[in-house]
Amino acid sequence: MSDNVLLTTTVGSFGKPEYLTKARGQAARRKLGATELEELERKATAEWIRRQEDIGLDVLVDGEMYRGDMVAYFAERLEGFKIGGLVRSYGNRYYHKPVIAGRVSRPKPMTVSWFEYAQSLTSKPVKGMLTGPYTLLDWSYNEAYPTRRDAVLALAEIVRDEARDLERAGAKYIQIDEPAIHARPEEIGIAIEAMGIVTAGLSAKTISHICYGDFAAIYPQVLDLPVDQLDLAMANYGYRWLDLFDRNPFTKELAIGIVDVHAHETETVEVAAAGIRRGLRYVSAEKLWPHPDCGLKTRTVEECVEKCVAVVEATKLVRKELAKVPA
Amino acid sequence: MKLTTTVIGAYPKIGDGLEAQELRRALHRHDRGEIGDADLGKVYDEVTRAAIGEIEAAGVDVTNDGQIRWDDLLSPFARAWSGVQPGPLERFYDNNTYFRQPVIDGRIETDGRSLVRDFSFAQGIAKTKLKAAIPGPLTFATLAARDEQYRSLDERVLAIADAARKEIAGLKAAGATMIDIEDPAVVASPKHIDLAREAYGHFADPDLALTLVTYFFPPDAVLESLASFPVAAIAIDVRSRDTTAFDRLDAFRTQQVLLGVVDARNTRLETADEVARYAERALKLVPQERLVLATTTSLEYLPRDVARKKLGVLVEGARLVSGEKVVA
Repeated sequence: MSDNVLLTTTVGSFGKPEYLTKARGQAARRKLGATELEELERKATAEWIRRQEDIGLDVLVDGEMYRGDMVAYFAERLEGFKIGGLVRSYGNRYYHKPVIAGRVSRPKPMTVSWFEYAQSLTSKPVKGMLTGPYTLLDWSYNEAYPTRRDAVLALAEIVRDEARDLERAGAKYIQIDEPAIHARPEEIGIAIEAMGIVTAGLSAKTISHICYGDFAAIYPQVLDLPVDQLDLAMANYGYRWLDLFDRNPFTKELAIGIVDVHAHETETVEVAAAGIRRGLRYVSAEKLWPHPDCGLKTRTVEECVEKCVAVVEATKLVRKELAKVPA
Repeated sequence: MKLTTTVIGAYPKIGDGLEAQELRRALHRHDRGEIGDADLGKVYDEVTRAAIGEIEAAGVDVTNDGQIRWDDLLSPFARAWSGVQPGPLERFYDNNTYFRQPVIDGRIETDGRSLVRDFSFAQGIAKTKLKAAIPGPLTFATLAARDEQYRSLDERVLAIADAARKEIAGLKAAGATMIDIEDPAVVASPKHIDLAREAYGHFADPDLALTLVTYFFPPDAVLESLASFPVAAIAIDVRSRDTTAFDRLDAFRTQQVLLGVVDARNTRLETADEVARYAERALKLVPQERLVLATTTSLEYLPRDVARKKLGVLVEGARLVSGEKVVA
């Protein structure tokens, strides 16, 4: 059994080092310039590439040191959007929810230079990371388009252009996250139609991350989402989504969340490995990718490292077990 | 005759200007141990005072306390009731807003006074009619992450209905006459409608104006059934999704209809004319004395300055229908 089974990865974001959190605060108060901030973002990105290599992850991410929020980052760079006022997501956490105020367009690529920088630091593959059109719409206020579908399809063309630019820049893996896809299960057809626009003609492996919502409400229809791999939060849900695969077999590659990103404590290697074994009942080792449930940006750098180490060590354990099983 | 207006649920706790973010700062300071519960409580009270003030200043007829102390619809009760804990975070229906899923680990008990202090405080501030709110039993029960106590959904819903009965009695004793039962699950999970109706029988009180508040989803699948709930009013959201409700409102023969006409989940600002047109459609089947105009749901899904403007068009639209002179 080679190391080419159970490839390990992460969902996209990592905790920011303290110096960067502080610098972002200063930049928001205009006490630090954009160039100085970017220098620190590049430093933090390089540190995360090095850490991922040290931990032994197989497919890397840039860690999103330059992003605050997965929708606002794009909204700030697209024409037609304006940044709205503060709304609460939970507890004392607030974010600027974007407003689609006019016809959307992309003046220039938004993530390509970060991908190129991160990829230049490692010989391992780095994923290109985008937010999907359905989530961009669902997590914004739509003041401009007559229907939600109209807005989603307009955004799909933008995400498609960005994905093509990432592929041209060398991305072998492009992840288009749709965590909002189950917000309105009756609209799954719109999300699928939009993803079709995004991924048409791409030769890179395409992935979509889905988390925190009623996955059962969109299964098995979500298998029609035109991507190669679905990337699902599982540990937080006690792996109950796997039961759905009994009735309707899972037909794609599965990136399986085996550590909970909202808990400070890290799962033991044995607990994480048990998650992989559960996934193997439904998806072959060639098609199963262990990783944390979601982006790790709410965790400290140390917690992120611990969680990733648990993923990698658990994977090694299960790879060994698989190697012992006669073919 | 004047068309009445009201709000639903929570009001934004902070605004965009630094001066409107005192609660955010106070919570950070409380987390760091720099201020205690009493000082944080004072800030909560001040923000409650400001929220009620803004709702009343807009000209809304029936206000609430803005639920400023609530992290979400369920947590205040998951914390106050024995047998329940606030559990893992999850998105609240189709919103990118989270709530803590209740975890039921014992028999649910309450002294019925979970909201009495806050309601009494708001009573001291409100100049207009003040209503209270509690979560509906079907919503609380279906959003629970785990239940180690009750053997079925039916048992769980009815146990929560009994706790709701005590809370309602506590609020009544404190002087409440109007209470919203926020229960979006009634329209989100219409298959449980009979169970929900049975639960409402546990706390029905002819001396109180109880409102079954639904939102996010259209009432289409259960609209006629809602008319048989033992409540004084039904709130429905006619903006979040397409609905046939406008053609069927005559199902409500005695109850008030709170029509959610101002979209509390989109920043696009309605015009007063638009609000009036929704009201006029409803008035074809509901007499004016039984129609109340409302926001679709909690205004907390909007930035505070937009929430304020939304209240303005709600009131202005109602006045247009009533033929009142609108003061610009």
